[in-house]
Amino acid sequence: MGDIRQSLLPRDVLSAAKELLYHLDIYICNLVQSGRQPPQVDSKTLELVEEFILHAPKDRNTPARRMSALQELQLLEIMCSCFQEQSRDTVRQLMFSALFSLQGNQADESRMALLGKLVSMAIAVGRVPILECAATWLQRTHRVYCVRLAQVLVDDYCSMVPGSVPTLQNIHSASPRFCCQFISAVTTLYDLTSEELTPPLELLQMIVSWIQDDPRLVLITFLNTPLSGSQPLSSLDVTPLGGLVRWCVKAPLTYRRDKKLVLTNGSSESEPETGPLFSALHLSVLQVFMLLPNILNEKGLFGRLALLQMESLAALTSDLSRLLDQADKHTHTSSTDTHVLSQLALDRLAQALQVAMANGALLCSREDLRTICSRLPHNNLLQLVLSGPVIYYNNIHTPPLAFSPHAAHSPIASHPTHPAHTPHTPHATHPSSHPQYPAQPFIAGMPFPFRPSH
Amino acid sequence: MDKAKNVFLSCSFIYLGDLNKCSVWLISLHSLCVAFGSICLVNVTKMSAQKDCEFLVKRARELVSDDPCAAKAWLITARTLYPADFNIQYEMYIIERNAERTSSAGRLLYDMFINFPDQPIVWREISVITAALRSDSQDKQAQFLRGLFETLPGRVQCEMLLKATEQCFNTLEKAEMLLLLLKRFPESVVQHGVSLGETLLEAEASENVETPVNCFRKLFVCDVLPLVINNMDMRLPASLMQKYMLKAAEFYIGYVTRGPSPDVQIQDGGSLKSPSVSRGSQRYVIDGLSEKSSVVAEPWERLLDILAVVGARCEWQGDKGQRSYMEMLQRVKELCRYLPGLEGDTRSRCCSQVVICAALVLFRSAFLYVSAVQPALFQGVNGLSSGPWILVEDLSSVYNDVEVERGAAKHSHKKRKLADGRDKTMSSDDEEGLGKGRGRHILVNKTEMPSWSETLESFRIARESWDLLHSHDSLETEFKKICASWKTDSWLWFRIFLTDMIIYQGQYRKALSSLHQMAAVQQPQPGQQSPSVQASLEHHRALIQQASCHYALGEYRMACEKLLDVVSGLVPPNQEPTKIPEDQSRVKTKTRKGNDLRLLPCTSKAVLPFCLQLMLACFKLRAFTDNRDDLSLGHVVVLLQYDWPQGELLFLKAVDKICQQGSFQYENFFNYVTNIDMLEEFAYLRTPEGGRIQLELLPNQGMLIKHHTVTRGITKGVKEDFRLAMERQVSRCGENLLSVLHRFCINEKIIIIQSLP
Repeated sequence: MGDIRQSLLPRDVLSAAKELLYHLDIYICNLVQSGRQPPQVDSKTLELVEEFILHAPKDRNTPARRMSALQELQLLEIMCSCFQEQSRDTVRQLMFSALFSLQGNQADESRMALLGKLVSMAIAVGRVPILECAATWLQRTHRVYCVRLAQVLVDDYCSMVPGSVPTLQNIHSASPRFCCQFISAVTTLYDLTSEELTPPLELLQMIVSWIQDDPRLVLITFLNTPLSGSQPLSSLDVTPLGGLVRWCVKAPLTYRRDKKLVLTNGSSESEPETGPLFSALHLSVLQVFMLLPNILNEKGLFGRLALLQMESLAALTSDLSRLLDQADKHTHTSSTDTHVLSQLALDRLAQALQVAMANGALLCSREDLRTICSRLPHNNLLQLVLSGPVIYYNNIHTPPLAFSPHAAHSPIASHPTHPAHTPHTPHATHPSSHPQYPAQPFIAGMPFPFRPSH
Repeated sequence: MDKAKNVFLSCSFIYLGDLNKCSVWLISLHSLCVAFGSICLVNVTKMSAQKDCEFLVKRARELVSDDPCAAKAWLITARTLYPADFNIQYEMYIIERNAERTSSAGRLLYDMFINFPDQPIVWREISVITAALRSDSQDKQAQFLRGLFETLPGRVQCEMLLKATEQCFNTLEKAEMLLLLLKRFPESVVQHGVSLGETLLEAEASENVETPVNCFRKLFVCDVLPLVINNMDMRLPASLMQKYMLKAAEFYIGYVTRGPSPDVQIQDGGSLKSPSVSRGSQRYVIDGLSEKSSVVAEPWERLLDILAVVGARCEWQGDKGQRSYMEMLQRVKELCRYLPGLEGDTRSRCCSQVVICAALVLFRSAFLYVSAVQPALFQGVNGLSSGPWILVEDLSSVYNDVEVERGAAKHSHKKRKLADGRDKTMSSDDEEGLGKGRGRHILVNKTEMPSWSETLESFRIARESWDLLHSHDSLETEFKKICASWKTDSWLWFRIFLTDMIIYQGQYRKALSSLHQMAAVQQPQPGQQSPSVQASLEHHRALIQQASCHYALGEYRMACEKLLDVVSGLVPPNQEPTKIPEDQSRVKTKTRKGNDLRLLPCTSKAVLPFCLQLMLACFKLRAFTDNRDDLSLGHVVVLLQYDWPQGELLFLKAVDKICQQGSFQYENFFNYVTNIDMLEEFAYLRTPEGGRIQLELLPNQGMLIKHHTVTRGITKGVKEDFRLAMERQVSRCGENLLSVLHRFCINEKIIIIQSLP
């Protein structure tokens, strides 16, 4: 295909790009037709794309060709219809990656810029095939770039043009896959570590309503991906669950900080309460966890695949303990208020850990949890979760909880049936110590030696 | 623990002596302590588990009003911690239920039903839901609960209903519950259908309900039976099908012919304040059922539906497509012709078909007839539009010439003997039926009864069905069995039909005994005070019909006695009725033979004229016999005043007779004769031109005449009295004639009755 370069050179930028797209389409069709596995676009072609579509300078000598804004818009329109008209999925995907797969060269910047504009436009005019390709792109690309794309879209739809949120809102029915990946990207982007990294309210509302409408939305990518274990390194998580849990747990503390800022600005009235939104989101996340056992069992992955990573949870708990420390130190509002919000964050953490663990989204022992939560302040529910449920067998009304997924970590597993001590234990000879004697081994046998003080 | 102490004590004791023994003791001490400890642990853990659960549920409850999402998050967490704890799941359910979220509440109920089948709270909830299913309440809660039930998988619904049924001790509720099951799951009909039906029939028998229109039967007939007979997977013996068919028929007939409910029930609803609730729109409630489920729409049609299915399944003869009672009657009529040639099973099957079909047609047509003739008997039949009607002898020919009448008269025993040769039916006993089989006409005032043709048609069809049912012994036996089991003898409305039918057949003697019984039934109950106008009218109805029968039998004295009883209870209308042209024209054009019948409205306006005509008919024959009977002739003259000049011909005949006699004595003349034409005629009779007839029309005048024949002057005084009386009478001409005649009936009652044989 390299031989067409000469014919492209004399043309103006727009018609050259158009011509190249046309040839690219034919070329990829032939490639797919030939049945070569895997179909691979050769480097010559990729270079042509960089030269005539992305307008990266071929070498230092030749000045970069530039497109006017109008020409760029026309090009985007042509690309949109090009993807729209191509009926074969494979061809579309190959074409999309020929154009937008990051090559680790200087063309990547313009590549990202064009991609952002194209996806933004596809959302605006509802071009589903492009969104589907973008969803795949979001699965395969390093999370840093995913986050950049998300940032562009959020800027376009949530910050730049007021009232354009509904357009974005509608994509969940047009392309749930894209939607799911988009959620993953924004939860990665906004990690609530700073004010800039707190999701705008419109975005939050939109995501909550998406997930409330259909909790399975967050599992779409996971459901549609054959798990070959070939997740590209450093790509986004297969589900946004981790990011959503982080949002919900940290929100009571970070948004309080925001609210306080707003309060000082004196415009708190216009700001709707985010509390109920996060409460609903948190519930949705737990409900998604509840869906998992069936799905994981169907895929034969129950107990084998962790949708929540221990490392990210560890990061979350250490973040949280830092935030709690800060809250204690810089509290301007009443301390009871701070206490309530801290407890809410800890309640949510405990709930997420427990429900995730019980439903096979989190694969670890309670001992592991105790380790990552060791620095957190006291919370009744968290303690209950860390120690695990009390289990007893002799209740006729309650069957043994053999089916409980966390049974393996329950205290009963380590319940001691103490071997008989040697008769020569010193205790036996000292009547004074004997009242404590029977209780001692059983308390020691409890894996976590205290119960929450309800 | 005490045991451990003992062991320890003995241990330290022995330690002083034997070291080996001591170690044995110590081992046993240790194991004892371990055993005790594990009991403690079980109790402690059980308690702390309970505490955990209580804590979790409590937190959820605290949150539910302010932040329901958080409450749910707590409970979801709690459930993963303690999946076997009932309270956690119940709390989850309650949140969804209170928020009326149908599908999630349904899902949780399902979980509870599966995991905690023994929890009383679950059962209480299920019984609340099944109660909502049974009820016809439209309130939001009931609708939600019904919706909730719908979200459950069919298998669970089925199980729930079955178990709820098992827990139910009230037969009716149990049946309703099982019915829900059968309606939803047709396959369960095979297993439960017949037994449910039998349970209901047994309950009906054991609860001693007094009417077939009861809650058990309603459920059986309207709900269970259609499911059972329409289920093609079931094979029921024909005898059982027929038994059920008859149960259904008895119910529907009883329902249609139910009497008006007592007024107490209307007042219950607070309708005293709303005058819009009229007698016609009375509510009706079957004991044990709600008002809505007490309504049976289109009962005759439903009965026909059941009959069609039963007929098809019992392999009855005839086209399946026939869908009306009339067609059914035609079909069994034809079938009847083949009956004598049939044998065995075919014959008995045919018999059942004829009897059941004809009986249903009979009862339906009889009901239609009686509901037109006496609408107030029934609930839901609008009785306000037309009052009761009485089937009586038609007397419109009463003004005809006696001679014409006498030629065809068959009411007089005397005349009957003379007429022996001419009329064969007359030769036999009265009970054989006067006018039977001759297609008697029934006259009705068509403007007063717009539905006259339907009414007469129903009467005809009912009679025809009756005749069919009595055309073979085997049919009659079967029919009598049905009547006996339904106790049709106690059906007043049916007796009314039967009485009218035997009157139509001319079996007046039989009719009279039936009427006597009916009058006894209709007497106001001792408990009820002040019988209403309606009740007295209905009492009159029987009396008038009795009078008419006595008249037809030639028992004039009895006839008049009954009539005068009626008249004494009547209030004469204020004004004379305007004559109906239709009546006149008919009399002119047709010369009736006198054996027609008439449906007479049971109102004062219609009854008083009828009484007067009937009395006239009674006296007419006596008055114009060869023997002199001035009293009868006088009565006839008085009675002829009504409907004048209809009776002009007869009046002239009476005048002729007086002229022939040369004298006439009737002391009541000036009391009751106010007709100017008559007065003129009588005044003329006394003149020389009139023939100087001796008229003794003043009270005690006879005595006076005898007394005064000695002195002529006194005779002159008598003449003067007559002239004065005549003049005074002319001034009374404007008096209300019906009042005069009413007074006549009341004042002269004894004389009138005595003057008849």
